[in-house]
Amino acid sequence: MAAPISIRNVSRRFGETWALRPVDLEIAAGEFIALVGPSGCGKTTLLRIVADLVEPSTGEVRIGDDSAREARQKRLLGLVSQRPAVLPWKRAIDDVRFTQKIAGKVGFDPLKVLREFGLAGHENKRARQLSGGMLQRVNIASAMAHDPSVLLMDEPFAALDEMKREEIGEWFDRELASRPKTVLFVTHHIDEAVMLADRLLVFSPAPGRVLEVVSVPVPRPRDAAFRQDPRFVAIAAHVRGLLMHRQAA
Amino acid sequence: MSQPDLALPGLAAPTGAASRRLLPLAMAVLLRIAAPIGSVLLLWYCAIWFSGLPAFVIPRPERVLEVLWTDHAFILEHLWATLQVAAIGFLWANVAGIGLAVLFDLLPPTRHLLLPAAITLRNVPYIALISVLMLAFGDSILSKTAIVALSGFFPVLVNTMAGLHAADEVQLDRMRILNASWWQTFSQVRLPYAIPSIVAAQEITGSGAIIVAIAAEWMISSTGLGYVINNAMQNYRGDKVYAVALLATALSFLIFTFVHWLGKRLDWRAGDQRR
Repeated sequence: MAAPISIRNVSRRFGETWALRPVDLEIAAGEFIALVGPSGCGKTTLLRIVADLVEPSTGEVRIGDDSAREARQKRLLGLVSQRPAVLPWKRAIDDVRFTQKIAGKVGFDPLKVLREFGLAGHENKRARQLSGGMLQRVNIASAMAHDPSVLLMDEPFAALDEMKREEIGEWFDRELASRPKTVLFVTHHIDEAVMLADRLLVFSPAPGRVLEVVSVPVPRPRDAAFRQDPRFVAIAAHVRGLLMHRQAA
Repeated sequence: MSQPDLALPGLAAPTGAASRRLLPLAMAVLLRIAAPIGSVLLLWYCAIWFSGLPAFVIPRPERVLEVLWTDHAFILEHLWATLQVAAIGFLWANVAGIGLAVLFDLLPPTRHLLLPAAITLRNVPYIALISVLMLAFGDSILSKTAIVALSGFFPVLVNTMAGLHAADEVQLDRMRILNASWWQTFSQVRLPYAIPSIVAAQEITGSGAIIVAIAAEWMISSTGLGYVINNAMQNYRGDKVYAVALLATALSFLIFTFVHWLGKRLDWRAGDQRR
């Protein structure tokens, strides 16, 4: 089950330096939120605060009725990093099972899901034997293996080439339709964010603060044709304009 | 007249292709064994010919082998004593080194408490430590194994600590997000990442244990190969000194090779290369 997230006045300072100015945001259960902005604007910091991997300097995060820490302790969170966290000495299938063993929760049949994720015939391969795209699919399967309510994704497709990135993004959107999660998705890639997200949180350059919350009023999952849709083009141009204007300023 | 069939029953004669494959392999193995032995012997004979030193300082290799053969019962008896000291000291070094590194990971404040003491101990001149151990325990297995353990535990500690910190941050984040216990994180992520560093420490400490045990016996003992060297020196038996040195070198080399081989079996990266 997906869970709503409430981010209230959350900020983070490192000494005298602001990493993230106060952010307020209500995220509905099952909503897909993309955090977009230049490097160092605090996107990852906000994601890590929601993950309870970084303490906020002010404010709090609620996930359903729980604090971020309680949600983590209840294993309600899943994390997908840019570099896959697949254990290099484990086979793909064992890595997915490993998440379930540590979490003490079995979200789904690992073999079935790896096959649904397009990894039939690759279940027994180790990380070095898989391509970048395959490895990221295993990474996502492992992050979702305990059926978390919230999926936190930090530039998960950044290491992939453009074509693979689009392909895996569309695949992921379709997968989410059958396994609804609330998703917080950090990316530098504006088109990817518009393609996948219900709303985009556009950040200013450091010290990061939210410039605007941009909605994408098109139901998900979206297919490749959406990239040619005038609404896609308009929203992407608007976000690009926001970021370029700020950077120029 | 027909040719007799030389092939053994049930054993196919090697084909041309097979022998063509085996020949380079045999040559490579021969080279790997013969080259180092040959170069050592060459240097040895050169030293004899050009140094002009007497035979009790630098005996001929064949004389050293002869001593190894004729005195083998005596040498083996003392070898056993050295092996005991080296093995027990090596074990102590590992228990202390790995144990402390694990403790520092489990309870980080203990690192601030105990690491300075370990570094201090490392920097005290060994000769002073040996003197104190000699005064405290005399010529006993305890004093000698303590010397071996003291020389080995610091590389084990430092390498294990470095290995435990070498775990990939994304893996550690994954364990944190899953609310994994310390033991789960340690056994499933930190330890596998630390294995190459721990093995490297074993290669140093394992082979070094023999050398340090001999040195300890040379200074304070009436048993072991160190004692044999000391005794031989006093009797101007350079050939016996060389015989023991040869044996100790071969042993250290064997231990290093065994630990290296074992490390390759334990190292998940080596596993990937094998595949």
